[in-house]
Parts: sequence; C-alpha cells; structure tokens
Amino acid sequence: MGKCRRPAATVVFHSMLHALLASSTLFLQQLINGAVLGGLYALIALAYSLVYGVARLVNFAHGEIYLFGAFIFLSLLSGFFGVVLSFGPALLGAVAFCALLGVLLDKVFFRPLRRAPALAGLMTTIGLSVILQNLALLIWGSRSRIFFGALVPAFFARPALQSGGLVVSWFQVIIIAATAGTLAGLQLLLYRTRFGRAVRAVSQDRTAAALVGVNVDRVVSGVFAIAAILAGLAGIMAGCYCSAISPAMGYTAGIKGFSAAVVGGLGSLPGAVLGGGICGLVEAFGAGYISSPYHEGLVFVTMIVILLLKPGGLAGRKS
Amino acid sequence: MKKFFPVLFLLLLFPVAAAGAGKTIGIPVVAPLSGPLASFGQGVVNGARLKAEELNTNGGINGRPVAIRFEDDRCDPQTAAAVAVRLASDPDVFIVVGHVCSSATLAALPIYRAAGLPAITPASTNPAVGRLSAIYFRNVYQDEFQGAFLARYVSRARHYKRVAILFAANDYGLGLKDAFAAAARRLGLQIVDCESCPAERTDFRAQLAKIRDLNPDAVFLAGYAPQASLIVSQARGLGMKCVFFGADGLDDALMLKNPDAEGLFVTTPFLADRGGAMVRDFVERYRRRFGLEPDWFAANTYDAVGLAAAALARAGCDRGKVSAWLAALDSPGNAYQGIAGPIYFDAHGDCLKPIFVKLVRHGRWVSAADQLQP
Repeated sequence: MGKCRRPAATVVFHSMLHALLASSTLFLQQLINGAVLGGLYALIALAYSLVYGVARLVNFAHGEIYLFGAFIFLSLLSGFFGVVLSFGPALLGAVAFCALLGVLLDKVFFRPLRRAPALAGLMTTIGLSVILQNLALLIWGSRSRIFFGALVPAFFARPALQSGGLVVSWFQVIIIAATAGTLAGLQLLLYRTRFGRAVRAVSQDRTAAALVGVNVDRVVSGVFAIAAILAGLAGIMAGCYCSAISPAMGYTAGIKGFSAAVVGGLGSLPGAVLGGGICGLVEAFGAGYISSPYHEGLVFVTMIVILLLKPGGLAGRKS
Repeated sequence: MKKFFPVLFLLLLFPVAAAGAGKTIGIPVVAPLSGPLASFGQGVVNGARLKAEELNTNGGINGRPVAIRFEDDRCDPQTAAAVAVRLASDPDVFIVVGHVCSSATLAALPIYRAAGLPAITPASTNPAVGRLSAIYFRNVYQDEFQGAFLARYVSRARHYKRVAILFAANDYGLGLKDAFAAAARRLGLQIVDCESCPAERTDFRAQLAKIRDLNPDAVFLAGYAPQASLIVSQARGLGMKCVFFGADGLDDALMLKNPDAEGLFVTTPFLADRGGAMVRDFVERYRRRFGLEPDWFAANTYDAVGLAAAALARAGCDRGKVSAWLAALDSPGNAYQGIAGPIYFDAHGDCLKPIFVKLVRHGRWVSAADQLQP
C-alpha cells in the first residue's frame, strides 16, 4: 500500500502541475489579449466620459471618429489621397484630423444646442454618426480593407516576449504602453495645467465657472478635440492591430466604448478606464474559455449585472 | 470601377440591340457587379461573355444570336429580389443564369418559382436552394457535399486526427460546419473545438489562443476569405504552426497576397490543370480573350450559359418546356457535357460534380498532389 501510494501521488502531482502550467499559459495569453482590447475600449470610453463631463452630452459620433482615425491614417500611409507619408507624419496627420473633426462638430452642431433640451443634442450625435459613416462609405467604398503588414513597421508583429506557449507581440506591448501613456498624459493635463483646472471647473458647475472668468465654449471645444484624439488613436491602433479596417468598424467600437463608460460611471475618468478594462477582459476570457457563439453577449450580460448592482456605474457619482 | 463601365455600357446597349436585331435571344446573367463581393462577379461576366461569343460565331441558338443581359444584385437579398421581379415579369426571359451568393439566390428563388421561370446558379452552394424549388438548378456542388468531402479529405488523404473549426456566423459557414462535423463523427475525426466568428469581428486572438492550447492537427475555416486572411495572420502571430483549410469561400486572390496563408488549402469546383482536353482548351481561349487565368466562377458560368443556350435550342422559347428539358438531364448518360465534367441533376436540381483541392504555395494556387474523388 505504502509503496503504491507515492508514485500515484507523484503522477497526480505532476499531471496537476502540467495542467496548471498549460492553463496558466492560456490564462496569461488571454490576459494580454484582453488587456489590449481593454485599452482600446478604455480610450473610447474616456472620450465619452470627457465630453459628458463638460457638455452633459453622450456623443455617439465617437465611433465614427474612431473609424475616420483608422481610415485617414491608412490612407495617408498608402497614398490614397495622392501623397504617401511615412509612419510618424501619417500618425500626426490622422490625429490632427480627428482633433479638427471634434472641434468642428462642436462648433457647428453642438454649440447652438447648448441650451436646448438634452435629447436634441443626443439625437444630433446619432444623426452625425450615421452621416459620418455614410461619408466614409462614399469616400472609401463599402469594401473592408485588409493589409499585410507592409504599411506598418515590420517589427510590430514580431514577438516581444516568447516563453513556453505565451507570445506577446511588440504591437500588444505598444498598444498597452500607448494607452497607459495617454492616460498619464490626460491625468497631467487635467490636474497640472490651467486648462485642466478649467475643464474640472466647467464639469463641476458650468455657470459658476463662467462667472469666475472661464471661457466655457473654448474649454468645451478643447475637450471635444481631446476626446476625438483619444477615439481616433484607438481606431488607428485597432486598425493596425487587426490589420483590417471597414466602414462598419466604428459602430461596434462606439457601442462597446459607450457601454464601458456607463459601467464605469459616465463622466468618471478612472471609471472609464475600469469599464474599458472589464469589457476587454470579459471579451477575451469569454471567447477563450466559453465556447462561442454565446461569448459575444457575455460582455453585455456582465454590464447588466454590474449596473443592477451599482446603477450609477462602478465609479459613478451619486446622483 | 473601370471594369464595371463596360458592363454598364452593355446594359445600356442591350435594349437597343434587342430592338434592332429583333431576333436575338436574351439570357440574363445575375451576379454581384458592385459592392463588397464584386470580385466574384468579374469571372461570371467574363465566362458568360466568352460563351456567348463562341455561341454566336457558331450560329447562335437555332440561327438567332445570343445576347447576354447582365444584372447586378450586389449579393444583396433585397436587390436580388428586385432584379428577380423584373426578370420574371419580362415575357422575353425564358431562363436565368444566377445568382451567385446563396443569400441572393434564396431571395430570388420564390419569385422565379411563382413565375415558373427556370434558373441555373453557377455558384450558390446553400443546400436549401435545391430543396425549395424544383426548377432552380445548379451546376455547382452544395455545401453538405462540400463539408462532408472536406472531412473525408483531411481524414483519408491528410491523415489528420484532431481538427478545430472556426466558422462564420452566416448561412454559408453554419451549413459547412454542420456538414463537416456530421461527416467527421462518422469518420472518427475528432473535433477538438468549434468557435464562431461574428460578421464584423476582426480580432480572433482569444479564440485562437484557446485553439492553440488544444494543439489540433489543422483548423477548418468555414467562412469567406476576408476574415480567414486575418485569422491565419493572427494565428501565425501567436506562434501557431498548424495547417489551415477551408471551402470555396476561401478561394479568393486575397489569400495569395497574404504571406501567412502559405500551405492553406481549399476545395474548388474547377482546377485549370486537372481535367481533360476540354479544360485545357477553355483555359487557352479564356487567356487569349481576357489575358487572365479563369477562376471557378468563370468556368461554372461558362457552363451554365452553355447549358441555358442548349435548353433554349432544344426546348424552344417556353419557360415550362425549358424547365422540363433541364429536369430530364438526370444521369451521366443523359447529361450536358460541361468543361468540368458532365452536368446532370437529381430530383432537387442539385448536381454531383467533382471537387478538387488546391493549396497556396509561394503566393500561387497549385493543385494538391493528393486529390480524392467520391
């Protein structure tokens, strides 16, 4: 008896260790996959929350700014507009375009509606979202575009880390780093600059901010620009990460980013990051551990559960 | 778009030409000529045009010249139904060649059935097409046959034991997956995982990481080329080395542009280097006429137009007689001789045709060394 037990125990231990190692590889891989998606969703969620904070407006056109970011970037890289730019200038160009688009939308459509009922602004954003998507269809056609790494630097797809079965590409590292960097930059901007102080003031009480001399319209325009930059960056990174862009990509991303913002608590920036992260991780782990096709709905089920428990969102303000 | 203008031009010319000649017989050919799947339509247009030109140099249909009338359905069910209504109500239309996408064919089918108008699809593989209408014929195999063939091929010719499936969440992907899985069970081929890909998804790393852990011999991509191309690239990025394969939905030049698709194999109804003298002849004539290699859409449309013309010639310009003549082609001995083998129909209007396997090697399609015939 005593002789038999030890080898059996060893075998069991070894097989458990193997299972643990194998499953931890999958776990880590899904964690990375989910963190990348989460970072992208967090950027869009931040755009929603920033604009909501200062303008009390849910801007559904963020999905389309995301779309334009990706399309303009790749068009500049591939010479669609007649000029071929290298990676850096194309990135700057696309981001600048998104910022301008954000400001333009605010000045032309939302400023006249500042004192109108909230629903008027909301309907306008939905209308703009449809118009912008169709504009993209007119410019680039309905075909989804797939590219094979030729447009982005080759090292992006190479593994940055490879151990056991775990593979982390440079691209995943860059997206996670860029998301973290953007968040840090945003934090600095909001808490260490005059503009940031004005933004916080407007989001707390617009009338009081105006009374103490804050130029509310300029602040709101600035926030629209920043939000558009975040959404555009997310689109650019998502397009490169998946090496495919299509005129339909903005819609799903916009909805998921909005849901992430709501789960985190609309208007709260840490909440937006938290919501985005949850959204990405649930999606990756859902697809990784639960057999599809149910995992697509899992993100939204999780959100409903969270909202049932905390109706104001995870980091929402108490109303 | 440039390639589209000649088609438009033809469309505009047609009524004039028909009125002028008086005695031409029009054969409508419906395909996606614009929209996201317009690349499918190019082969259809060329194949139909080549057949019509050859028919006309040989005296047309009983002395009357043939005019192909191209219609665009964009692979969109609503547009397809609108085109079908127009054709069904035209007294000068006795047979239709089309549509290409299964969803478009299924939308047009009830309209043709109600009007008693026979049709031949050169490309729709959804099993329902044959079951829903006795006068909708096809000279392409259907997905139940194709899925089962793939299972037999990977198990018998490739000796794979464990396969994972990633299927597109549409009629085509679902049908293929079910047929493959059913045949796999009979053959003892193990399906280690089955994952779906929603329509707009472009990131498949989560599903792939899971499949990588299960370490299958191969992954079956039951869907269309755009998603499949992304899947193979992302799989290579995750360090996956296994073989990928799919059905005719992956038979697209897009796969050739993707360096990660090396070794991927697909089923196809037509291979230029397989088959007899008729195939070689056809490929030669097609190359000379268009300066291109014929794809399977071109080959099947060439045959479908030939079959339609033969039916009109033998049965006369009458929808009922044309239907009856086609339905009477029911055995290898009583068949229309197409370039890719004899064409004859079962009770559903479905046809048994050989399936070939080809693979991507150095950015070109080459026929697989180990073909498997039923």
